[in-house]
Amino acid sequence: MFEIASTPLSRRAALAGLFGVSALGLAACAGSNSGGGGNGASATPVSSDDFAKAMDTDTELTFWTWVPDIQKEVDLFQAKYPKVKVKVVNAGQGLDQYTALRTALKAGKGAPDVCQIEYQYISSFLIGKNLLDLSGMNGFGDLESQYPEWVWNQVARDAAVYAVPQDTGPMGMLYRDDLLKAAGVQAPTTWDEFATAAQTYRTASTNSYLTDLPPNQAGQMIGFMWANGAKPFAYDGDKTVTVDLTGTEAKQVVEFWQGLVQKDLVAVDPDFTDQWYQGLSAGTYASWLTAAWGPVFLQGTAKNTSGNWRAAQLPQFTAGGKATGNWGGSTDAVISTTKNPVAAAELARWINVEREPAMKLATEQFLFPPLNSVLQDSSFVGQTPEFYGGQKVNEVFVEASQNVNTDFEWLPFMDTVYSSYTDVMGPAITNRGDMVGALAQWETKIKDFATSQGFTVK
Amino acid sequence: MSTAPTTAGTATGAAAAPLAAAASTRRRRGSTDRRSPLLTVLVILVLPYFLLPLYWLVVASTKDNGQLFSTFGLWFDQINLVSNLQQVFTAQGGIFWTWIGNTLLYSVVSAVGAAFLATAAGYAFAKYTFPAGTALFSVVLGSIMVPTTALAIPTYLLFAGVNLTDTRWSVVLPSLVSPFGVYLMRVYAADAVDTQLLEAARVDGAGELRIFFSVALRLLAPGFITVLLFTLVATWNNYFLPLIMLSTPEKYPLTVGLAQWQSAAAAGSGGQVLFSSVITGSLVSIVPLVVAFLYLQKYWQAGLSTGGVKG
Amino acid sequence: MTTSVRTAAAPAGSPAPRRRGASPALRRQHRAAYLLVLPFMVVFTAMLVVPLGYAAYLSLYREQLIGGVSFVGVQNYVDALSDPAFLSGLVRVALFLVVQVPIMLGVALVIALLLDSGVLYAQRFIRLAVFLPYAVPGVVATLMWGYLYGPDFGPFAQMATGLGLPKPPFLSSWMLGSIMNIVTWSFVGYNMIIMFAALRGIPTELYEAARVDGASELRIAWSVKIPAIRSAILLTLIFSVIGSFQLFNEPQLLRTLAPSVIDTAYTPNLYAYNLAFTNQNVNYSAAVAFLLALVIAVLSYVVQLSAQRKERRS
Repeated sequence: MFEIASTPLSRRAALAGLFGVSALGLAACAGSNSGGGGNGASATPVSSDDFAKAMDTDTELTFWTWVPDIQKEVDLFQAKYPKVKVKVVNAGQGLDQYTALRTALKAGKGAPDVCQIEYQYISSFLIGKNLLDLSGMNGFGDLESQYPEWVWNQVARDAAVYAVPQDTGPMGMLYRDDLLKAAGVQAPTTWDEFATAAQTYRTASTNSYLTDLPPNQAGQMIGFMWANGAKPFAYDGDKTVTVDLTGTEAKQVVEFWQGLVQKDLVAVDPDFTDQWYQGLSAGTYASWLTAAWGPVFLQGTAKNTSGNWRAAQLPQFTAGGKATGNWGGSTDAVISTTKNPVAAAELARWINVEREPAMKLATEQFLFPPLNSVLQDSSFVGQTPEFYGGQKVNEVFVEASQNVNTDFEWLPFMDTVYSSYTDVMGPAITNRGDMVGALAQWETKIKDFATSQGFTVK
Repeated sequence: MSTAPTTAGTATGAAAAPLAAAASTRRRRGSTDRRSPLLTVLVILVLPYFLLPLYWLVVASTKDNGQLFSTFGLWFDQINLVSNLQQVFTAQGGIFWTWIGNTLLYSVVSAVGAAFLATAAGYAFAKYTFPAGTALFSVVLGSIMVPTTALAIPTYLLFAGVNLTDTRWSVVLPSLVSPFGVYLMRVYAADAVDTQLLEAARVDGAGELRIFFSVALRLLAPGFITVLLFTLVATWNNYFLPLIMLSTPEKYPLTVGLAQWQSAAAAGSGGQVLFSSVITGSLVSIVPLVVAFLYLQKYWQAGLSTGGVKG
Repeated sequence: MTTSVRTAAAPAGSPAPRRRGASPALRRQHRAAYLLVLPFMVVFTAMLVVPLGYAAYLSLYREQLIGGVSFVGVQNYVDALSDPAFLSGLVRVALFLVVQVPIMLGVALVIALLLDSGVLYAQRFIRLAVFLPYAVPGVVATLMWGYLYGPDFGPFAQMATGLGLPKPPFLSSWMLGSIMNIVTWSFVGYNMIIMFAALRGIPTELYEAARVDGASELRIAWSVKIPAIRSAILLTLIFSVIGSFQLFNEPQLLRTLAPSVIDTAYTPNLYAYNLAFTNQNVNYSAAVAFLLALVIAVLSYVVQLSAQRKERRS
């Protein structure tokens, strides 16, 4: 009930909700404004000798992250490189941490060497050239081929690489098999079927809805747009941003939901509140359109419904389509002020790319893996949790991960974008009103903000 | 009134009460014959309003997470208070103990510091006429109007500049300023410290500071304690300042910690934090204050009746 | 504030009037006074004056993500004065003030008068029960009421459903009222204690004669007691004005329950907070906070002034 800020998505993102935290948007200090080209400080190519020398030198690294128990992976790293000491610091989750980071960067001291950053916030640190270009670092040369294309696009810009992916959130659908069966509804594969199912389901069980559309969850809505091939945002890395929320694909998504919302066929409760949480376990919502971190999250929160849930792909606008979007996930980036760029880059790479730590992250911390090798690993894909009636849930989301639309960009000020979603779209959803009109307003608000911040808006 | 009392300054407002009564020399109390059962019943009918949420809190603290949402809120079900308490004190490696310790530290240090600073300043404003004295006092009084947000953000930025954010100092230092405490102590000192006594001490050759520490301070003790207690409450309940300043859970006071647990529970934290823990933790967090108030009751009683005897 | 409690307006009880060429004894006293005031003034300056000055400085600039910092003079203030988000928040807290404060202070005054006149049994218990909520942190108070308001599992909703009534919309259309209720609950006791102690300070002689003459308690309360504690009531009123305009904790905490009812600019304080911490617009936020402070100062001044006028007339 007391999330401190209105951007719950950021925290869901990396964590599968293992640790809820007040995402107090302590973004008091805007990043330093060197302005100009969005290329972070660039790294000089590192020779293998330099690399070996760096890793054999006594070094201390500070690593900001809010992944619970990441010390496990860091311990493995230190066993491999005993001379490199890593200090793991939880400097807050999401916006909290970014604020601390911005403050430290502004003060010119206290910034970490390696820092967890969610995909959608990477570009906000490119404005101040705060992220080190890792492309020349040891082991980064063949990294691109190890990830799905869409994941790589999220961390790379032109030839530069700004972060190492840690986990992702390709979107799918979790639903209550028992409730749907009882209402005589089949799991929908298209949005048309979904709408029909919502109607049938609502008629069959008056106290329950097929799903909930939270009025505070920009991340989910943006994910739907992403799945539908929309490109609402773009940033050239310099001074120009593009905002297009009223384009065909984005509008189609909002029009679809407006239809359901206005006919009272979906619930409109804010998510991650106690009521919503109760709704999930009490069967008030028969499905949850969520991301790859959703299954583990749900397992922890709706224990009493174990065995009744199933996973499926996100419904489609075109029958037979498979495209989806991403909601959440994060990366580890190297901060450009680091005095030990080589060791820092290796830390970011090693714990996320090497097999042992990467498997641990996926199977012990339950972060949904970005690496192809883990996505194909049978010990990950083959899990058959009882909660999902023995279904290979990971397999469903691995498939989703292969179908995420490849080109999606963010604006360098997503916190404002999210909070204005709740302000503008939120009431339209709650009051079951004009969502399409609100969409246009939301776009205007974002554009106005961008202009006021000195961006050129396209 | 929601945020004003969170600043050290305004929160001491209630302190005016016992002080004014104790410092004044008029007093009385009539017979008790006027008691009316009817009025008493009427008032007692209103009391549930004030006690209901607290009653609910006690009831809810005995329920586990499931019962919380499945049973009638205002009556007991199975009693799970002990297991709830265990959860509260063991969750996240027993961090609740740390929060209690932090809250105690913040509130005691702030309260003692604020009360002392206010007493010294209030005494000086009351008992000395010195250049700029009146002007300084007016500035201090005027500052009571300043909203907390006007200060919170610049203070945060200034603290960030000197690396004080996310330190214990960042919570304690701003809480040391209690303009209202100064005002109270000035009023109190004007009455409670006899100027002739000071003159006598001076004739005996005592230095001014010695007079303050050995003569005046003792006379000012009731006022000092009142300012202390109310600053204590204000800091204990403070939410906004630590929320802004702190980002490390190990430094949180109870208020921020509980709010964080609440959002963690709401975020369905994989079973690590439960609503029942938040509720039971809330109960635990207010118990010390309620006990303090019960005990404090004697102070007011004493303060009020001392005045009464004199009249 | 000086005028709000009359004793404070009296000159300090210092022995020697100030004059030029002060005697050594007087100079010693001045030195002592400065020494005693110094610690407070140092902390006061560092924690209040400096941040305030810094806020004033910040409010004259504008920092953009692209283009950096530039001096804009009073432009932030001009913008705020025509910013519907800021203005609607002001109107909302003004409404809050007009509705909630009289209720809260009225209830507090009635209870204080009842307690003072000695017409009640179980006085100590009643006084404690009413005062107890003040000991509850705002965070916990809001959490408790948040549960009680709950549309599914809150007891009021449960009772309404049980009686076949519609669920009370505490967290939607009644939101402002729900917040008023939390604040009232928390602070009736606090205000009651201020008024009660002031009542105890009235010399009995003021109304014993009236009582002997057979005046009713109600009459005594109205014509003697309330006028006698006018300054205490004024004090509570001014604190309430300040508190209402600074409303923050309750809406901030209830926002997660009802994000589309309480927007980021629900109260001016919430707006300033979100401007600074979500939008990273510290400069504009500082200007908003200053305007808010100005409104509060003006209102408090008006309240005091009108009270004084009344006093003079009566």
